[in-house]
Amino acid sequence: MEAWDAFVEIYEPLLFRLARSKGFQQADAEDFVQEVLTAVAKAVGRWVETEDRGTFRAWLFRIAQNLAINFMTRPKHQRLGSGDSQIAGLLAQHPDPHGESTQLFSLEYRRELFRWAAEQVRLKVSERQWRLFWMTSIDNQPIAQVAAEFGLSVGSVYIARSRITKRIRETIQTLEEQAR
Amino acid sequence: MTIGSSHLPEERCADQRLYLLLDGDEASPEFQQAAAHVESCAACRDRLTELSGDHDHWQTQRELLTPIADDQPDTGQFYRYRSTETIFAQRRSIDETMVKQMLTAPSHPEMLGRLGRYEVERIIGVGGMGIVLKGFDTELNRPVAIKLLAPHLSRIGAARQRFAREARAAAAVVHEHVVSIHNVESNHANPFLVMQYIPGESLQARVDRGGPLSVSEILRIGVQSASGLAAAHAQGLVHRDVKPANILLENDVDRAYLTDFGLARASDDASLTYTGIVSGTPHYMSPEQADGRALDQRSDLFSLGSVLYFMATGHPPFRAERPMAVLKRTCHDPHRPAWESNAEIPDELSDIIDRLLEKQPERRFATALELQKKLERVLSDLQQGKLRLSRRGKSNRTWWIAAIGLCETALLAGVGYVWMTSAPKQEPPTPIAMPPASTQSVESIQARLQSLEGPQQADLDRLQYELITLEVTPFPEADLKEPTNAQE
Ligand SMILES: [Zn+2]
Repeated sequence: MEAWDAFVEIYEPLLFRLARSKGFQQADAEDFVQEVLTAVAKAVGRWVETEDRGTFRAWLFRIAQNLAINFMTRPKHQRLGSGDSQIAGLLAQHPDPHGESTQLFSLEYRRELFRWAAEQVRLKVSERQWRLFWMTSIDNQPIAQVAAEFGLSVGSVYIARSRITKRIRETIQTLEEQAR
Repeated sequence: MTIGSSHLPEERCADQRLYLLLDGDEASPEFQQAAAHVESCAACRDRLTELSGDHDHWQTQRELLTPIADDQPDTGQFYRYRSTETIFAQRRSIDETMVKQMLTAPSHPEMLGRLGRYEVERIIGVGGMGIVLKGFDTELNRPVAIKLLAPHLSRIGAARQRFAREARAAAAVVHEHVVSIHNVESNHANPFLVMQYIPGESLQARVDRGGPLSVSEILRIGVQSASGLAAAHAQGLVHRDVKPANILLENDVDRAYLTDFGLARASDDASLTYTGIVSGTPHYMSPEQADGRALDQRSDLFSLGSVLYFMATGHPPFRAERPMAVLKRTCHDPHRPAWESNAEIPDELSDIIDRLLEKQPERRFATALELQKKLERVLSDLQQGKLRLSRRGKSNRTWWIAAIGLCETALLAGVGYVWMTSAPKQEPPTPIAMPPASTQSVESIQARLQSLEGPQQADLDRLQYELITLEVTPFPEADLKEPTNAQE
């Protein structure tokens, strides 16, 4: 899997949603997304200078997280700033793990992570299998009822939703291992 | 991993068989057997659910995938914002797969493929009609740009004919400020034409990157474009799609080239004069073009006026959220004069632009040649220090003449407007003022990499390695970036 692609695919919608939840208009939210991603890219050199740096992948996710949380705790119209010293400051700064912004961030991060993984898996399964999974696992419809509706056996609905769930879980797991 | 837990007494209830159902090949006999068992064993159905993800996972999955705000609950589609850069990057990988299928195997592994005697290096751009490739002519030893008719059009006779006609028309124009057509292969399964390769960027990309140009640059590019246009007009052609993305600027030499006669048609081709369909980019269209009525070479002068305006201000003269609204404004609204947006623009240039942007063709310059002469005179005055900056702030605003009665018919009659939303060739409604972040990112990463040295070399290698092992280019390359492609 491609780390940067996955990173952008998760972070773009995430940052956008965070900005919107802060009351940003569409265009401003789009600017904000670009701003954070640019700041992250500009800070790549910092990764090299960090003592206990871990992998590049993990670093990508961590710095973006700090930037986003830092942004949310700022006044609305203050620009993020992507100068080197500001980046250094943001990296050194550890957001309060119990702070409101951190909580919101981790919820929205989990949401985008699941959605991203679901999209990956959806591409690889048939539309019918996806519907079976969706109706019984997300919409919470009774399995027997859905099976009857599709003219399938109960067992095959169980199999379809379980296969998809496992793949979603593994997709998330793989990404998290790489981003740790 | 607990295999055969105590609550599963029967041997055939073993976890291994359930894992087969989760990961195995659905067509295999083992899978079928296990599936048949699960049908009659409730314990295994529960165990199957548990093995695919624990209770927490199922619950979190439901909570987080449940539609919210902008999602489409019926289709289960999530609303996940993506920037245009990301969308283009995804498109590009799809495009590459598609293009590779049209090419034969390359002679060098770093090439994309081969097309006759041409080695294809990469995709320059993708548009509604075709794909533009950077290639190398192995017989004549020179780089070329190859325009390939899109595969879905190659099977359509009319599209092939139009492609051939476009190529013939464009090949007839030989001029130092028009991109030359070297060769046309219309009998190939996927027809293509081979053009002069211009290393550089489009005017669109230049302005997006650096903002409005200096007065002398505007005049120079204006003079050269007008002379190229005059050459096309002398062949009886109307370009029909003069816009910043179709003006290429060669690196290191001060030379502009007019390209992409994609919509150009011989003006005596009656069957195509009035099609009732407006196609192309709306921002640089003339009112008569927006109107779908017969047009002549003065339509190109309006478009070139819009291009001069774009160079002077960084944006086209008429802007709106939707393409239809752009056309309406083009037809009915006066433009804001260039000197109001940019105080550096001298009256002489601003006046030329105003004249080109006249709604009625007869009020514009009569020919591209006349425009070229006019621009040359202003350029020479500028070089001799004879120009003054605009001092017009207070004077009478006589710069526009409202168009009355023009444009009504077609807009009301519902002209079909081909807004190729799926084609990245289209400019976004408003130009992007700053370079897209991912372009900056590539540059800044490269700069960072280059600025590192000495003891950090190991780190550099590691970073480089990680970037390489991303398998796909981590950022879209600048020269592939839509919508500001050169040579599209
Ligand atoms: Zn059983």
